[in-house]
Amino acid sequence: MSKFWLLVKQLYTQKVKAKSFIFSIVLYVAVISGVMFWSDIKEAFFQDEPLQIAVLNETDAEIESFFESTSDIDFSFPTETITEVEKQVIDGDYAAAVFIRDQDNSLAAEIATFEPLTFNDQLSISSTLQYASKIYEVQQLNLTAQQAEKILQSETIISTKNLNVESASGKSEDEKAAGIGASFLVGFLIYSFVMTFLSMITTDVASEKGSRVLEVLLASVKPSTHFMAKLTGTFLLALTQIGALLVIQGLLFMFIDGGSKWDMVVDIANELSFSYIGYAVSFLLLTIILYLILGALLGSLVSKVEESGQAMMPAMMVGIIGFYVLISGMASPDTMLIKVFSYIPFTSGMVMPLRIGATDIASVEPIVAMLVLIGTVILMFLLSLSFYKRSVLTYSSGGIIQKIKTVLKVTT
Amino acid sequence: MTLSINQVTKRYQDFVAVNNLTFTIEKGEIFGLIGQNGAGKTTTFRMILDLQETTEGTIIWNGTPINSINRDILGYLPEERGIFPSMTVEDQLYFFGELRGKHRKELKKEVDYWINRFELEEKRKAKAETLSKGNQQKVQLIASFIHKPEFLILDEPFSGLDPVNMDLLKNAILELKNNGTTILFSSHQMDNVEELCDHLCLLKRGVSLFSGNLLDLKKQYGKTKLTIRTDIPQDVLGKLNGVKDIQVGKDQYILTLEDESFAQSIFDFVSDGKYIEKFSLDYLTLDEIFKDKVGGPNV
Repeated sequence: MSKFWLLVKQLYTQKVKAKSFIFSIVLYVAVISGVMFWSDIKEAFFQDEPLQIAVLNETDAEIESFFESTSDIDFSFPTETITEVEKQVIDGDYAAAVFIRDQDNSLAAEIATFEPLTFNDQLSISSTLQYASKIYEVQQLNLTAQQAEKILQSETIISTKNLNVESASGKSEDEKAAGIGASFLVGFLIYSFVMTFLSMITTDVASEKGSRVLEVLLASVKPSTHFMAKLTGTFLLALTQIGALLVIQGLLFMFIDGGSKWDMVVDIANELSFSYIGYAVSFLLLTIILYLILGALLGSLVSKVEESGQAMMPAMMVGIIGFYVLISGMASPDTMLIKVFSYIPFTSGMVMPLRIGATDIASVEPIVAMLVLIGTVILMFLLSLSFYKRSVLTYSSGGIIQKIKTVLKVTT
Repeated sequence: MTLSINQVTKRYQDFVAVNNLTFTIEKGEIFGLIGQNGAGKTTTFRMILDLQETTEGTIIWNGTPINSINRDILGYLPEERGIFPSMTVEDQLYFFGELRGKHRKELKKEVDYWINRFELEEKRKAKAETLSKGNQQKVQLIASFIHKPEFLILDEPFSGLDPVNMDLLKNAILELKNNGTTILFSSHQMDNVEELCDHLCLLKRGVSLFSGNLLDLKKQYGKTKLTIRTDIPQDVLGKLNGVKDIQVGKDQYILTLEDESFAQSIFDFVSDGKYIEKFSLDYLTLDEIFKDKVGGPNV
């Protein structure tokens, strides 16, 4: 086995068996499963009984049919007086009472509670009331059933037509929604992997440097071989984690709840184009490589492992900024902020997939962002390799700038 | 000639770490590089190991520039110890052996031998981080020569070892020497250098104050250290002809003479033709020469 692969194997086997590595996979699976199975979990643990809501109708209209009970809310229509119902609310028999009366041919409703309702519950009662109000008003107009039905079911048929032959064909709303969802997942994964593996490589190089084991290694192998071995070993760990995550999560989706979540994932994937998946995977891998290069360089600058947190802080901040820009784009992915950050190499991996998936952008834009990212990876690699050779055996105190100055001072 | 350091200088902008250093080491010899902290020992080692480039001068191994040789013939123990904390003792030794180009099969015999020799059998499967500091040091020492290097560099190999382990290491170094390994080492413990080294180089602030045979260095000072056990009072001894200095030990006096030629007349006076329990004329110890050289204004 060559020295390069010996170093890769040493790093890989040491880290892959570490409890923290296994724990992080379990954590990812737990978080993703938690989100996907949230409604089932909520049902199982947090709400056994639906919320009891009393509806007192003081109008002449038959509005009971508008209030359809669900698994979360159970509407009932007591015949007692307002005072009696209010007492039942105070006693806890009902979570809330809704008093409905007519006010200038419109519905007016008052929601009485003893304990405040949660935001979600209040929202769903309000929307039920809004719907009831529409039907009530239509009924007041004395329309036929068909006319009323037509008004209530009316919906504008919207289609898009792209007049720009240069740009990609317009996406449907479903495609854009799937794009936003998938982009958030890609962005979240890039952010999480970048943070995890940036920290891993920085700490690893710093701990070898701090413990002087690096001197023994570098007496045997060239710094460039060591640098490449660190990148390769950590990248393989990242691929292992991604692979393990996909397999475990895929199996969970397939076998829990009759595979309903797997069908949902397949539906979303069907809405996404091949080019989107290709771009997302490429951005994911290239961004991880870029941060790994940066992490190895930062690790080589510090004198001991305790300083690695301070050294990787700037890189982490850039990653966090990229992630927050991505979150800001979930609601409106067309802003200037999103456009700018989709070209910056350290954030484009998190932001550009959102633009590709959720907006109609010219096909040249992701290619440009990808080329900028590839160019930066190559440039960073060459710069870091050259600097790594000089910094890896230079010990100095002070901040990162001071350390860089010291390396330049003692090696030029 | 095996290793030849020729007029080597290492400069960091305006700071000179090693200045015009020259010495040679023959095959199979133990060479000591001694000097205070910051004298340039580790920098010299790093230049030999090609971890740092020389500013001027050349380092030649068997006629070939050191940066062109196969690195697997080298072994190195850095001053500050470091091993992989979560790797077992055995795995650690195999890893460093393989990194130096040896196959696992070739290493098995060596690993078993040295683990046994350094009394680490019970710790074979233990993670390095669970070992005592002394045992960790033993593991790193073995790792530095597990691949049977032709040339071994040991930076302060004795620091932190107890007397029993120090003896183990000394014997191991002598065994390696007998098997043909050329050894260059630094130490602050002069008695170890004196005991092991054939030749040495004395560094002060990057400059060589002496380079050559240990006995030649001692001869420069001559046999001027006289130890006597006698009842004669100190003030009488101190006034004898040729006595430069006198120190009182527990039950003896240590006299520093101007020249060894005064020893005969002192012996005649002290013994007065009778039995004398102790009268010993010696060269200065390396420790004393070191203190004199690096403490004095030699540069």
